[in-house]
Amino acid sequence: MSVLKYESAVRAPLVDGSKSYHQVTEDIIRPIETTPTRLWKIGFGIAVVLLLFGVYSVYREVTYGIGQWNLNKTIGWGWDITNFVWWVGIGHAGTLISAILLLFRQGWRTGVNRAAEAMTIFAVMCAGQFPIFHMGRVWMAFFVLPYPNSRGPLWVNFSSPLLWDVFAISTYFTVSLLFWYSGLLPDLATVRDRALLKWRKRMYGVLSFGWTGSTKHWQRHESLSLVLAGLSTPLVLSVHTIVSFDFATSVIPGWHTTIFPPYFVAGAIFSGFAMVQTLMIIVRKVLNLQDYITLEHIEVMNKVIVLTGSIVGVAYLTELFMAWYSQNPYEGYAFFYSRANVLSPYGWSYWGMMACNVLSPQIFWFKKLRRNITVTFFMSVIVNVGMWFERFVIIVTSLYRDYLPSSWSTYYSPTIWEIGFYLGTFGLFFTCFFLFAKWFPVIAVAEIKHILKKSGENWKKDQDNLEQKDVKEFEDVMAH
Amino acid sequence: MSKSTIWQSFGQRNQSEAFEELGQDEFRDINPGEESGEEGLLDSKTPRRDFLKYLGFSTVAASLAASCEIPVNRSIPYVNKPASITPGIPNYFATTYTQDGDVLSVIAKVRDGRPIKIEGNDMSPITGGGTSARAQASVLDMYDTARLRFPARIVEGRAEEIPTFDAFDKAVGDAMTGLGTAPVVILTSTITSPTTKKLVGEFLSKYPGSRHVTYDAVSHSGMILANEASFGNKALPSYHFDNAKAIVSLGADFLGTWLSPVEFASQYAKGRKIDENKIGLSKHFQFESILSMTGANADERFVHKPSETGKVALALYNAVIGAAVTGVSDKVKDGIVKAAKALKEAGGAALVISSSNDTNVQLVVNAINNAVGAYGKTINWGVTSNYRQGIDSEMLTLVAEMKAGRVGALLIAGANPVYDHPAADQFKEALAKVKLTVSFNTKLDETTELCKFVLPDHHYLESWGDAEPKSGYQSFIQPTIHPLFKTRQWQDSLLKWSGSDKDYAIYLKEYWMEQVGGQDNWDAALRVGLRYPGEVPMSAGNFNAGSLGTATAALSVAPKAGEWEVALYQKVAIGNGSQASNPWLQEMPDPISKATWDNYAMISAAAAKELFEIDITKTGDTDSYDVNPAKPMVKITVGGKELELPILIIPGTDKRTIGIALGYGRSEKAGIALKEAGKNVFPLATILNGATHFAAFDAKVEPLSTTYKLALNQVYNYYTDSLGVRRTEVVKETSLANFMQNKEQFKHERDHLVEEYAKRSGDYRNEGSLYDPRLNDRPGIHWGMSIDLNSCNGCGACVVACNAENNIPVVGKTEVLRGHEMHWLRIDRYYVNKPGGDPDDLSDVVFMPMMCQHCDSAPCENVCPVAATNHSSEGLNQMTYNRCIGTRYCANNCPYKVRRFNWADYTGADSFGNNQEGIISDVTMNMNDDLVRMVLNPDVTVRSRGVIEKCSFCVQRLQEGKLNAKKQSRPIIDGEVKTACQSACPTHAIVFGNANDKESMITKSREHNPLRMYYALEQIHVLPNVNYMAKIRNTDELEVVAEGPGEAEHG
Repeated sequence: MSVLKYESAVRAPLVDGSKSYHQVTEDIIRPIETTPTRLWKIGFGIAVVLLLFGVYSVYREVTYGIGQWNLNKTIGWGWDITNFVWWVGIGHAGTLISAILLLFRQGWRTGVNRAAEAMTIFAVMCAGQFPIFHMGRVWMAFFVLPYPNSRGPLWVNFSSPLLWDVFAISTYFTVSLLFWYSGLLPDLATVRDRALLKWRKRMYGVLSFGWTGSTKHWQRHESLSLVLAGLSTPLVLSVHTIVSFDFATSVIPGWHTTIFPPYFVAGAIFSGFAMVQTLMIIVRKVLNLQDYITLEHIEVMNKVIVLTGSIVGVAYLTELFMAWYSQNPYEGYAFFYSRANVLSPYGWSYWGMMACNVLSPQIFWFKKLRRNITVTFFMSVIVNVGMWFERFVIIVTSLYRDYLPSSWSTYYSPTIWEIGFYLGTFGLFFTCFFLFAKWFPVIAVAEIKHILKKSGENWKKDQDNLEQKDVKEFEDVMAH
Repeated sequence: MSKSTIWQSFGQRNQSEAFEELGQDEFRDINPGEESGEEGLLDSKTPRRDFLKYLGFSTVAASLAASCEIPVNRSIPYVNKPASITPGIPNYFATTYTQDGDVLSVIAKVRDGRPIKIEGNDMSPITGGGTSARAQASVLDMYDTARLRFPARIVEGRAEEIPTFDAFDKAVGDAMTGLGTAPVVILTSTITSPTTKKLVGEFLSKYPGSRHVTYDAVSHSGMILANEASFGNKALPSYHFDNAKAIVSLGADFLGTWLSPVEFASQYAKGRKIDENKIGLSKHFQFESILSMTGANADERFVHKPSETGKVALALYNAVIGAAVTGVSDKVKDGIVKAAKALKEAGGAALVISSSNDTNVQLVVNAINNAVGAYGKTINWGVTSNYRQGIDSEMLTLVAEMKAGRVGALLIAGANPVYDHPAADQFKEALAKVKLTVSFNTKLDETTELCKFVLPDHHYLESWGDAEPKSGYQSFIQPTIHPLFKTRQWQDSLLKWSGSDKDYAIYLKEYWMEQVGGQDNWDAALRVGLRYPGEVPMSAGNFNAGSLGTATAALSVAPKAGEWEVALYQKVAIGNGSQASNPWLQEMPDPISKATWDNYAMISAAAAKELFEIDITKTGDTDSYDVNPAKPMVKITVGGKELELPILIIPGTDKRTIGIALGYGRSEKAGIALKEAGKNVFPLATILNGATHFAAFDAKVEPLSTTYKLALNQVYNYYTDSLGVRRTEVVKETSLANFMQNKEQFKHERDHLVEEYAKRSGDYRNEGSLYDPRLNDRPGIHWGMSIDLNSCNGCGACVVACNAENNIPVVGKTEVLRGHEMHWLRIDRYYVNKPGGDPDDLSDVVFMPMMCQHCDSAPCENVCPVAATNHSSEGLNQMTYNRCIGTRYCANNCPYKVRRFNWADYTGADSFGNNQEGIISDVTMNMNDDLVRMVLNPDVTVRSRGVIEKCSFCVQRLQEGKLNAKKQSRPIIDGEVKTACQSACPTHAIVFGNANDKESMITKSREHNPLRMYYALEQIHVLPNVNYMAKIRNTDELEVVAEGPGEAEHG
């Protein structure tokens, strides 16, 4: 037994199969250099159609008024803000994976971080559409920016949570984008260096900012990554906290709840990981990357899902308990009648939420199910359906029956243009994601190479070879 | 031993020059600007200044290119300014609203030559300045696009213009001469004008055998005939509800629609206001078949079928004279015994009225009033009322004569029998037999359409005229604008056709100059718009019980009744339908049902359970019934006439009675607002002994499986929710007995808040907040409003006044259905039942006017990202429409849900131009017609699409008042400025003013009523500036007082 021969007894290899550095590059960069597959084309086509339908839906809403949606005097927010919170929530996993896991030195993150970060950026882009286009006068949207103006002392209202959203989300988007892009630089340079066509070389040359792989570049790259990770980490927590303030700081029973910040953050991670699962399971299959995105990844993420799902479940129960314990009749009504009562007009959404978010993830206590790809895929969709319900429950069931029974609303159901806007953001998301998968390496090539030495069949083979070598040879090999 | 090259990049491997260079500089820090070598910064390819230039140019170019063109409206100044008009300064003219005999002395506000608002005339001894919804809305009728614009011949239902009045006069004159001896009949609704009556007399004398027939769609002929029998006076007396301690109404909706509702509401409110130091309330009993607005205000209510009206009257008579009470159900019997006791105990301060058109019932009512000593105390024969003069049988005679071809010419003014006569078919048939038919109606209504000529009358705001609502009380009409169209007052036509060369204005002036004595007096009378005698002594009249015997005998035999009965009623807004084309009235929710734009079958909760298995005590059922605007329909069959209508469950309706409103289902030709607005139920009325009874005693009712969407402004009806929690922080009401037993109950709930949240200082306002209490120091003016729920009867005059004052858009049925109505002020209506009791057994119905509460710690203000809504130093919660970007966050966070969002371009004020065809309703499109837009108040911004709006406390009026005070260097006087809702209110339920002024009405109102004063949702500490006075109903019912005060958490 050699001392050098080492394989962890507890940790599975992070990359399967015996890969050389070159092979990694080949595996991941190859799809960028070939004509897209039929599957890609179909998917992209559907995404673009959805996007165009969304654009038309928004066009109608902007030209004819918010009356194109079925909101009313009592329910001022419906699908619009529900979708906003839902997409923002999804946009949490990417940064969590890349930033927090980077700080915690979780090697497995490298397999999924690139795609997860891209997902974050696209999800935040989708999320941003809703608060912008839910405005009655979107052409005046720039009023929310605190720019110097000629209107005397007119300034934005810094005590409005909606304004905090503006800052929180734009900051989050900027930092996430920078983080994602700075991570892309070495890989873009690799694509550039492999490019055969002149225009590709030029394009990736520009995109990679002249990366040469010099030691100085790497040094700066690493420092920047750490700084951005440090910046992103509080943002992961703050964005959804601030989004939750939209509700928590209000006076509406069902919104006015101190539990919202942690509950929203847990929910966001929950839905974000579910979305990462959905995408990764598709990507590894379509791009043939099973060796890089392994069952280990899926299992680890399922563990996060069952944890955050349970946190969310505890939060739901705490809300119910507080509604009873406070003896506030208005809150009691919101929770016990409008929500928990399955026979009330929106009771179905509450129980849909409970079933999808709290009960169903519990199956991940079983290892077998955690490692089952079909189950995981199905569950990842269910979780996001449930999280959509959660936002709908919070927004609509609180609003439609608040303080004055005289103003209680009639039934709210969306119009085709309201649904169209939502579908349109799916279009936007997938259009971006397809383009990303076509033009950028979906896995961080450079980062995968970092961990390659420590895992995989190759490493074991190398160790075996090494034992056969003499000292001189060993020096030559190991010196570099 | 290997000497392999180790390389990181191709450059390194090939030892290229470029790579070497890079390698050299790898660890060198380059200072900014250094790369340009020896050259200065400005010599570089794009120096910074150039960059700034490019940036500036491209930004300006982009913004210029992108800027939207906003439609330009040009206004042209006067070349010669009329002496009486100063642009921007309104003129006020005293005039009189008259419609179908209704008379209200009003003041028309005229801005830049256009009347834009109707206010009550405070000097009127009859109304005390109160108005009705219909009077408030009447200004819009003038700008109705459906008005006929020229004299015309009617050909196949269309109006073909006759170019001049002379040509018209000649055409009619020729036709008249061709009649020979056939008589001319003038058919009008009640005329209260003394000069018009004189004129009609003079005209008729020129045409021998001619006569004048007064026809009221909803008449009081039963009463008039009964009074003829009892008092020898074919008239109506004056009523004094303010003198009555006990009021019994047998089906009369005297606060909403009966005879002179504004007058009665103002009198009635005097007996309902509470002085906490000396509590005395009048006691009001209502016996009716459906829940009327008046019934909703009654202390005790009892229901019976329409066919039992006679028996109830008889039973009450028997109870009053001490005879046995029989023939009525046990519940009603209890009520009658109680009512009779109250009437007798009142010592003459008692009043019984009935809406029945049955002379026999009215004879019995007269006998009761006589027995309880009401005549001379609450009923005055010294002054008679002229509001309704029509006798139903006269109309029937006319129809018979017309049919027989004995009428040569029919001149119709202000009457529409083809629509609103129960036997309209016969009238139509008869009309065709009349050689010459001329209509003076203003629109191509159902009757006009079938006439041969039409000469449209002026709107009253364009007319000269007078009215005498009660004998000796005159009110004058003067024009406020030059006639908009080629129309002529019908009195002018009569003058012309009777050969006079005077026009009516001269005729009127001459008449009144003689009466008042000279030009100066006439000018003075016109200025105030009124003329009335001094104190008129009460007269009891000479009661003669002669016909009572036959009446009681007739009533003891009940009419033949079937399983179901139908009660036809008038809605407060729509009435008999003559003003139904007014979109403000159509969109004003009915006080009871809260429905707009339709009529429907009102059924009781019990009937709903029986017919549709909807149990409104079960929350699941109420939810599915309430939240769904599609209501189930019923088929109602009366005497072979079938009608399909949606139902609305109105608790407190008689179980076997269906209530349907009159005034709907009119011809679309008379106005776009009439399109698909309900069904006409006048044909269901019963003609019995020559009188029209607005009921059908034998109806068949079948549930259908179809549904119909009803646009309701309020879908949930109780402030007690399904968990049995009373939202006492919203509505506070109790019985008088309860209140007397525990006077502190409401105050205690407020004190509890102080104990919980302001233990240290006892100042809930300041200590209950996290913010610095000094922020709440508000010196100067602090506007506040106080609303007395005991006085508010729900009539909705304030709602329409608010619409008119604040340019509130009409959104139409399709938008109300979607919860998009824009009303800034609404009247919430809550039913009160005993816990677990029968839903039809109502303890109370509460009307709660709800508008922006102008919270001093407003939840809407701090959530607006752009500070478009903020607080003024005077306590106003202000909206800056220009700044609003329409996030609707404020509306969500408003606990009172009073903020309204412009879901579409309802007012044509949008920068996108006119693209709303098919998006907004036809009615709203029509409201944006240039003609209709003339009614807009120029002092109030017309809001564009995508912004929030809400009650501003009529800030334009406050500003005007403050400026006037400032110009005169004085502080603003209490009562100098009034909000539109306040000045419209006939019962003075709304008090408004400066709460910082210790002497103001608002301060006194709050300080003098500490036991009833409360703020809605005070516990969430939003610090509203509108307070309410809890409602106390005069019943001796004792309820179990809820354990402890409100348990609600602090917000």
